[in-house]
Amino acid sequence: MAIKEFFEIPKKFKTWSLALMGVGILAVVLGFFVYGTGDVHHKTRFWASLLHNSVFFLLVANASMFFICATTLAWGGWQMSFRRVPEAISTAVLPLGIVALVVLLAIAWGGHHMTHIYHWTDEAAVEADPILKGKSGFLNLKFFTVWTIATVVLWYVLGQKMRNLSREIDEKGFDSAAEARKYIWKNTVWAALFIVWFSLTVMSTVPWFWLMSIDAHWYSTMYSWYTFASSWVSGISVMALFVVYLKNKGYLELTNDEHLHDIGKLMFAFSVFWTYLWFSQYMLIWYANIPEETVYFNSRITTDHHSGAYTFLFWFQFVINFLGPLLILMRRGSKRNYTTITIMAFVIIFGHWLDFYQMIFASVSPEHVELGWLDFGVAALFVGIIMYATSTALTKHPLISKNHPFIKESIIHHT
Amino acid sequence: MAAFKYESHVREPLVEGKKDYHQVTEDIVRPIESSPSKLWWVGFIISVILLLFGVYSIYREVTYGVGEWNLNKTIGWGWDITNFVWWVGIGHAGTLISAILLLFRQGWRTGVNRAAEAMTIFAVMCAGQFPIWHMGRVWMAFFVLPYPNTRGPLWVNFNSPLLWDVFAISTYFTVSLLFWYSGLIPDLATVRDRAKLKWRKKMYGVLAFGWTGSTKHWQRHESLSLVLAGMSTPLVLSVHTVVSFDFATSVIPGWHTTIFPPYFVAGAIFSGFAMVQTLLLITRKVLKLEEYITLEHIEVMNKVIVLTGSIVGIAYLTELFISWYGQNKFEGWAFMHNRLDLFSPYGWSYYLMMGCNVLSPQIFWFRKMRRNLFVTFFMSILVNIGMWFERFVIIVTSIYRDYLPSSWSTYYTPTIYEIGFYVGTFGLFFTCYFLFSKFFPVIAVAEIKHILKKSGEAYKPANEKVETESTEEFYHQVSHHH
Repeated sequence: MAIKEFFEIPKKFKTWSLALMGVGILAVVLGFFVYGTGDVHHKTRFWASLLHNSVFFLLVANASMFFICATTLAWGGWQMSFRRVPEAISTAVLPLGIVALVVLLAIAWGGHHMTHIYHWTDEAAVEADPILKGKSGFLNLKFFTVWTIATVVLWYVLGQKMRNLSREIDEKGFDSAAEARKYIWKNTVWAALFIVWFSLTVMSTVPWFWLMSIDAHWYSTMYSWYTFASSWVSGISVMALFVVYLKNKGYLELTNDEHLHDIGKLMFAFSVFWTYLWFSQYMLIWYANIPEETVYFNSRITTDHHSGAYTFLFWFQFVINFLGPLLILMRRGSKRNYTTITIMAFVIIFGHWLDFYQMIFASVSPEHVELGWLDFGVAALFVGIIMYATSTALTKHPLISKNHPFIKESIIHHT
Repeated sequence: MAAFKYESHVREPLVEGKKDYHQVTEDIVRPIESSPSKLWWVGFIISVILLLFGVYSIYREVTYGVGEWNLNKTIGWGWDITNFVWWVGIGHAGTLISAILLLFRQGWRTGVNRAAEAMTIFAVMCAGQFPIWHMGRVWMAFFVLPYPNTRGPLWVNFNSPLLWDVFAISTYFTVSLLFWYSGLIPDLATVRDRAKLKWRKKMYGVLAFGWTGSTKHWQRHESLSLVLAGMSTPLVLSVHTVVSFDFATSVIPGWHTTIFPPYFVAGAIFSGFAMVQTLLLITRKVLKLEEYITLEHIEVMNKVIVLTGSIVGIAYLTELFISWYGQNKFEGWAFMHNRLDLFSPYGWSYYLMMGCNVLSPQIFWFRKMRRNLFVTFFMSILVNIGMWFERFVIIVTSIYRDYLPSSWSTYYTPTIYEIGFYVGTFGLFFTCYFLFSKFFPVIAVAEIKHILKKSGEAYKPANEKVETESTEEFYHQVSHHH
């Protein structure tokens, strides 16, 4: 029984990824004519949908590189049997990053006449508003642009370095433990650089810039860590989906139920972790009851000053992002079952996609939930891109890094 | 099957020297069976003296009232609550090591978990003293327990995070104690079986609950560990989360901020690991356990310190940034004037905190430093000082200038009895730790044996054959074995 080294994209898979991208492009084009050319509210609707999907899926794809770097720094061995999968997913950061850059910069530079998304881009409003004026040292177009570009470029460049390091050893292994150790150390240096940049972006500045600034007056110190948790648990779920898919197609021979079990544990644990941050942020704002903070949740759960349009969505994602994973993934058996893991991965990704939806739309259109064909259509584009980029990347390099010093530990891994 | 005892030769051994099962028992249990060294007695007596000083300080406080402390009109929480939070924080590493690292299957935890868990229990005991004695009328302390009573409508305030603290900490203490003790049982049985003196056999026999080491016993022991690990994991997070609620649910600028829960937990783990380093560096030297608590162990813990220190750093900077970004005048004042301004009355404490907790741990990016015992010991003390100041900064700099400028003038410094109380808890902590190190195995003998054939230096050469096999060969061997 030889190990199948190279992935060949099944026809059906390719068709699906192209079809989804086609549907997505169609949705964007249609959306542009239906909404994008209308008045400022319509335009806001159109661009907010692009913002929602591009930021969400970019963060989700980038979470794969976070997984690689975190396990590298921890000297983890168990993930080696499927590590090429997150490596492949993280290549999608390039196309997704380009799209996200275009969308973010278009919205920011398009300014107040184009959309009502970033209120702080409206110069007249900033002039008249002492709070926004006070923030302009941070919330200004130049800084936004430079930081956003630097963020995406460095994610990709540092990620590429990690991927190259991984591929470097495909041809030739190590002659001694000392040599192998040197290789591991080299990996940890680059992984550490990625993690530092990740902390300075995903875990702090980037969610402030891209998302929190939509409510330009509002602030919460938890916001970035919360956003991270949401995209991270979704990122793990995307990884799980690809691992299960490849297993079902007869690839990844070295990966077995034990590895899947551990991926399932991460899905379970970080669903709970997300809820922990969700609860902490919500409870503290509710308890202190300071108007400039509660305003955020007013448009999301109460009917006091708003239509209460988002109330259902708000509690619904609590159910599917917390109660579902908690109850279903708690059992040992369900984490080792391909079908359950697949279903739960879809549920988690969808749940956090909805979470991002309310984070953006409850701010730009607090009166109505307009979730519809445009949002799902645009999402199809991004799903298609991830499928296409990942599968292409998987064909280019062996699926198993057979010379890695930890690969044998991964083979005998058991939970 | 040899393959299942395999680990990559890249990894350093966790047990050094030529050890077999018997030698492991000898090395770890021997200190219990011989009389303590002079150094032990010196340390123990100093601890007891400090404890007595603490008892006297509390006696003063109970007899003459909380006025024995220098708390004033705006600073109602001073050293007392700072010390409480500090000790609770230290009590985090033990259960993290035993529970979360068990779930993550980190083999190195076996060298340090026993001492860390003991430390946790003693630290939580110390922490508990502060809110209790702070009550003033301490004989009313049982009022915090909600039970059907004859006090009419007088009930605890379920809306208060201070009450949640009572539940969170007592739960944490109970589960940590169970975890620690159930882990001890097989080792206590070992001590019992080796005992030559009658009283010793009897005492350890009672403590070991009749453990025989049968398969059934082990099976139950393992599943109990897993269940307790599952229960402790959320507890590690919940305790300091609830402690952070004590502050964050309020509307005090500097206290009310949403990042507090996870940031407090990270800080707690940070300080807990620092304390584990302090204790273990001494323990391994005094009890000659360098082959079990190796440089590798110390290095890994230093990695945890640089990680958690940096997480705390991000949280500090996030808070600072948002206090400006939020454009809330009061929040801005608390940070810009009361903390960031070096020349404000307590500005020095903010910089001390930043220096000790965020800047200095960055030295552990370098492997040489992580493996340097002097640097590690010095850093562990520095981090503990820094984390004490973190709580001091949060508490005192947020409340010493309240909304009424007329009450700003008083500069808060502790009285000798406030200091004495704190010093007394050190006495309690070290008295307990000295007793523990005398009467219990400070390293989990059974768990070391569990990893010995995989990570012991003596067994490493057996794995070299595996290293020469190709990945495919190895895979086929393993899969045929199934």
